[in-house]
Amino acid sequence: MTESPAGTKTGRRARAVPKWRRRLFSSPLAVTGMVIIGFFLVVVVAAPFIAPYSPSQQSLRTTYIPPGTGVSFRGPDGQLGLWVSPATRTPVGGVTVDESEQYPVKFFVRGDSYEWLFGLLKSDLKLFGVDGPVKFYLLGTDEQGRDLFSRLVHGAWISLFIGLIAVAIGILIGVPLGSVSAFIGGSFDLVVQRIVDIMLAFPGILLAIVLVATFGTGLRNVMIAVGIASIPIYARIARSSVLSLKEREFVEAAGALGRPRLSTLFRHVIPNSLAPIIVQSSLQMAVAILFAAGLGFLGLGARPPQPEWGLMLARGREYLAVAPHVATFPGLAIVAVVLGFNLVGDGLRDALDPRG
Amino acid sequence: MFGYLIRRILTAVPAIIGVVIIVFLMVRLAPGDPALLLAGEFADQATIERIRVRYGLDRSQPEQFALFVSGLVQGDLGTSTRTNRPVTSDLARFLPNTLELAAGAVLVALLIGIPAGIISAVYRNTWIDMVVTFIALLGVSMPVFWFGLLAILYFSVNLSWFPVAGRGTLQHLILPAITLGVSSTAIIARMTRSALLEVLSQDFIRTARAKGVERRKVIGKHALRNAMIPVVTIGGLEFGQMLAGAVLTETVFNWPGIGRLLVDSILARDYPVVQGAVLLIAIAFILINIVIDLLYGVIDPRIRYD
Repeated sequence: MTESPAGTKTGRRARAVPKWRRRLFSSPLAVTGMVIIGFFLVVVVAAPFIAPYSPSQQSLRTTYIPPGTGVSFRGPDGQLGLWVSPATRTPVGGVTVDESEQYPVKFFVRGDSYEWLFGLLKSDLKLFGVDGPVKFYLLGTDEQGRDLFSRLVHGAWISLFIGLIAVAIGILIGVPLGSVSAFIGGSFDLVVQRIVDIMLAFPGILLAIVLVATFGTGLRNVMIAVGIASIPIYARIARSSVLSLKEREFVEAAGALGRPRLSTLFRHVIPNSLAPIIVQSSLQMAVAILFAAGLGFLGLGARPPQPEWGLMLARGREYLAVAPHVATFPGLAIVAVVLGFNLVGDGLRDALDPRG
Repeated sequence: MFGYLIRRILTAVPAIIGVVIIVFLMVRLAPGDPALLLAGEFADQATIERIRVRYGLDRSQPEQFALFVSGLVQGDLGTSTRTNRPVTSDLARFLPNTLELAAGAVLVALLIGIPAGIISAVYRNTWIDMVVTFIALLGVSMPVFWFGLLAILYFSVNLSWFPVAGRGTLQHLILPAITLGVSSTAIIARMTRSALLEVLSQDFIRTARAKGVERRKVIGKHALRNAMIPVVTIGGLEFGQMLAGAVLTETVFNWPGIGRLLVDSILARDYPVVQGAVLLIAIAFILINIVIDLLYGVIDPRIRYD
């Protein structure tokens, strides 16, 4: 099940750690996953710097402008570079580009001022922007004329945060529940297992939907609902790990030395059963982000104008034929971040597999 | 076999009771007056009072639960606040559509997933295997609703190969079935790969190879048949998962199934229908799992019950 904890524990550990790490880093898929997750973490931390505009600034003159509109690679005098001309949506439904004006897109330009790191830093420096009185919509605009790229960047933390909180809830409740239940056994185990059975009787996203339908929609409830929905999975995993460990000699030794049973559980047994829990957590992040986006898409999660990716996709659905980019890019963002966690989880599973 | 069936159903009883309790509590724990929730937002005072008496909401919780269960046993799940029809008749109308969609999706998943898994196993640890693994991981990472929207955009709106939404002909079924089947396809491909690799490492395969059976035949006949047992099981489990997964697919394609009924009812605060749909999906899921357990013995004659 998990790596053998027997024998001289420290000696084992010293050899085992570099082995799984070497295996993990030698898998191209797992490394790709880590790069993707790292990229999104940077986006979350540096969001106001990376996003050129505010996620909520509306403009009815620039509604659903497709990406690339008014952009050219040659300037007014034929110079190479990225140049933007003002594009506006006309009442009859088309987009008109005023090509008589062209402004260069540059790195590190001054933009709206923002506070960074909870107000620690103040700046108005942006990663990129236009040197002129016009905006550069990298991924186009949505139905309210908001810059889609800025909204995606500002919404990244929502998905990652939901995943993190949901996984934390799952671990903090599921792991102790499953471990204690396996360690104590008897009727307590029986009762816990029946409760887990009941939770597992709600397939997939259904348990989260039930919870949200009962306690109300919104981001906070989505986090809690998705977290609760992942408790039974952790309880099951922790239970089976602990069951396979609790008869081992080192548990008996701890008992013989006078350590109380529950303390043995938390000090010796649980730390030795972490491998499958770590693997599950990476995969569970992926599931949690997908569930949260799904709830947002169904209208049961985040509420407008929050730039939550699932919700943005749902809005884009209404304009699918007119402005396909509004639904396409939030979906791509979700795919990328979920894929990152799945790749890492998959790589971790192979790396930590004691049979391999 | 029969004894096992009875025992297996008995082990499901606590879960079914638990599901009933949770569905019972849904309306009671939701913020607001349960009578108002069950009567609907636009109900007048007389209707609310009638509902209060009918569900026994003026009595103690155990009495309410007894009333709820006796209603369930008689097939009475209440009345929809939107349509005023009995909840059971709505569920009966929508359930076959969801089953049709899920069956189509499982078919798609098996037809694509098994060959992909075989290729992956045969070319183990080559770039082909890695590409299949990557596509499979991409498949489970894709939000179904996004995949569905893109499918509508390219195949229905741009190419007009398929209708945009709705249900009726086979043409209507293809895109939703593929959409719902994407993640299951990936899971089945992965399962086929690992099951096949497991079987290929066994002694009887070496014997077959040693006595001169060609490789293609060993994989196609000897190995695959043995590897199919876990794959079929996963296919069945995926079918159960799809009853809930269909919620998103049905919303994207306007498919008149249980999932869309559930979401529409939540958004319209039509609690009797929400209760009924949740109950139906969960109990159907439990029953499907029992059927899979039994099928296991039918597929693999080595498994003996009791």
